[in-house]
Formats: sequence, C-alpha cells, structure tokens
Amino acid sequence: SVAEIRAGFAAIKANIQSRDPIRTLSVLSHPRSLHKVKSSDRCCVAHHLLTFYVDKVFKHCKTEDSFVNRKISSIANSFLSVRRKLGQCREQNNCACGEESTEKFKQILANYEGLNVTSAAMKSLGELDILLDWMEKSR
Amino acid sequence: SGELYCSLPNPRNVRFESINMKNVLHWSAPEGTGDGVLYKVKYSVYGVGKWIKKPECRNINRTWCDLSRETSDYEEQYYASVKAFLNGTCSDWMETTRFNPLTDTKIDPPMVSVSSTDRSISITLTAPEKWKRSPEEESISLLQVYPGLLYNVSVLNKKTKKRWFFSISNNTLVVPWLEPGTAYCVSAQIHVTTPLLDSGFSKEHCIATLKDK
Repeated sequence: SVAEIRAGFAAIKANIQSRDPIRTLSVLSHPRSLHKVKSSDRCCVAHHLLTFYVDKVFKHCKTEDSFVNRKISSIANSFLSVRRKLGQCREQNNCACGEESTEKFKQILANYEGLNVTSAAMKSLGELDILLDWMEKSR
Repeated sequence: SGELYCSLPNPRNVRFESINMKNVLHWSAPEGTGDGVLYKVKYSVYGVGKWIKKPECRNINRTWCDLSRETSDYEEQYYASVKAFLNGTCSDWMETTRFNPLTDTKIDPPMVSVSSTDRSISITLTAPEKWKRSPEEESISLLQVYPGLLYNVSVLNKKTKKRWFFSISNNTLVVPWLEPGTAYCVSAQIHVTTPLLDSGFSKEHCIATLKDK
C-alpha cells in the first residue's frame, strides 16, 4: 500500500537524496509537471508513473548499502501491487489518458532522459515523496 | 564571485525546524569560534536553477533565520545554506538536506474544549492552523493540508482511573453513559495517516459531570 511505500521511503530518504547532488533539476516537479493534473487524467498519469518507476527506476538503484537495497526492493514490490490495483481501473476503462496527461508524462520522461541513467534513477527515487504527496492529494 | 579564501570552520548542524509549517532554518556556530561570527543565508527551490539570498538574514550574528515565507508552498521542496564570516575570513556554504514542508513539519496538538451534562461530556477539537504571513491573511487549517487527519482522544475517569481511547475524523465527540458528579479528564492528539505525522497529546482538560438531579 502507499503507506508502506511511505514508511519504506522515509527510512532511506536522507540516504538516497544525499546521493543526488543536482539541485537544479527535478524529474517529477519541474517545470510544473505533476502540478495541476486534471482530475480526469490522474489515474492515467499515476499508472504511467508507477510503470515508469517499475520499468526504469528501481532496477538502476543499486547501492553499496544492503539495508537501503532491501528497502528499495520492498518499495518496488509495493509499487507492483499498487499498479496491479490501478490496472483493474484501466480494465474497467476508468483510466483514460487525455492529451494533457500524455504531455505531462512526456515532460517527465524528457527530464529523466536528460541525465545519465544512474543519476536519473537515483534522482527519481529521491523524489518518491513528491509522487506520494501528489497521489495522496489526488485521492 | 570575489569570495575570500575560506578557512573558517563551517557552521554545523544546518537544518530546518518546522512546526505547523513555520519553517525556521537553524544552525550551530562553527567549532572553536567565540563571539563576532556573522552569517548569511540563501535558499533554493528543489528543481529550480538558482540560489536566492535572504536579505533579512545577511550579516546576522544569531544562528537562526525564518524562511517560512519563502518555503510556504508545500508542493515544493527546498534547500537552504549558511556561510559564516569572522575577521575577514569565511567558511564554506553548508547546506540542509532536502526539506519537504509537507512531511518534515511537526504538528501541534489540537485545541480541546469540553462541556458536560449529568451523564455525558461533549468534546470539540480544533486542528492548528498552518503558519501564515500575517494575521490578516486567510487562515488555513492543517485539516485542509492533510485530508487524512484524525484525532486520537483519551478520556480518563479521575475516580476509577479508567481510560478510554477514541479515534475520530470529525472534530466533535460525545461520550455518553458516564457517572454523574464525576471528574473526567480529556486529552487529544492529531494523527495523520499519510504522510505519517503525529502531534503530541494536548494537556488534559478536566470537567465534572453534573450531579444527579
């Protein structure tokens, strides 16, 4: 659940964010990517983002710290179960992707691909609270 | 940028201390430096390119700086940094970790008011307000900031020392079937489920139920 993801992330937040020296770029929040997503688009953006984290982020986030690695894999597992639940919405056609949400997700991918893969993945992982804050607010 | 050669020890333990989103930067003086150290402060919004100086915290000798105004948008995250100066030399810039006002603030306990009948007490709870720039500014309750906000309420029978706990989402609670002419003490805490945030418990508010008619 999202609460489990939050608890897992809180335990490694300082460690992960300290590995991201780039203050001037954000994957999720700038320029204004996640802000002001229309409510009708939120399910689709959330599904895109969960898939983005599962497919592009977690696998590139290995550290030398086994505690951190264990937390990352448990967060990744929680993502899979949240995405599975969200997938059920998609099957019931409640998860339409509008033009705006597609644009916003493209912006996020562009931010991500603007960095080398390890930096991008670690930065994205360090922004998990931005994603969770947005998902919580959107509920 | 015309900076001096910086050989002064660095400010230590640079961090945000936040209560109800009143976000104040704090630090400790560099090791081994007595009086006379001055500081300047800058901050940045995470993901946005530039550092911004805080004029009101330039050449200050105190070891805190209120950045509530600059960090009031809790959809953003922030860094802040401090530099020390003494006798013509300076320290490095020392930064905070990334500060997220939504998850990194502490919440005050709720305000509690109680009234009673002969066999019940009524409890009304008020969540604290988010820090605001001026008294004239519109108040925002933390209830609006944290939609998942709950109240944990403790009710103690002073005579029998029996205690009940309630967890409620709305801000009023009536506790029925009590003993007439008995003192009860109420204390309450705020519990936010996600992000996980708990206030302390409020101080106890005691009231006696009316005697039997």
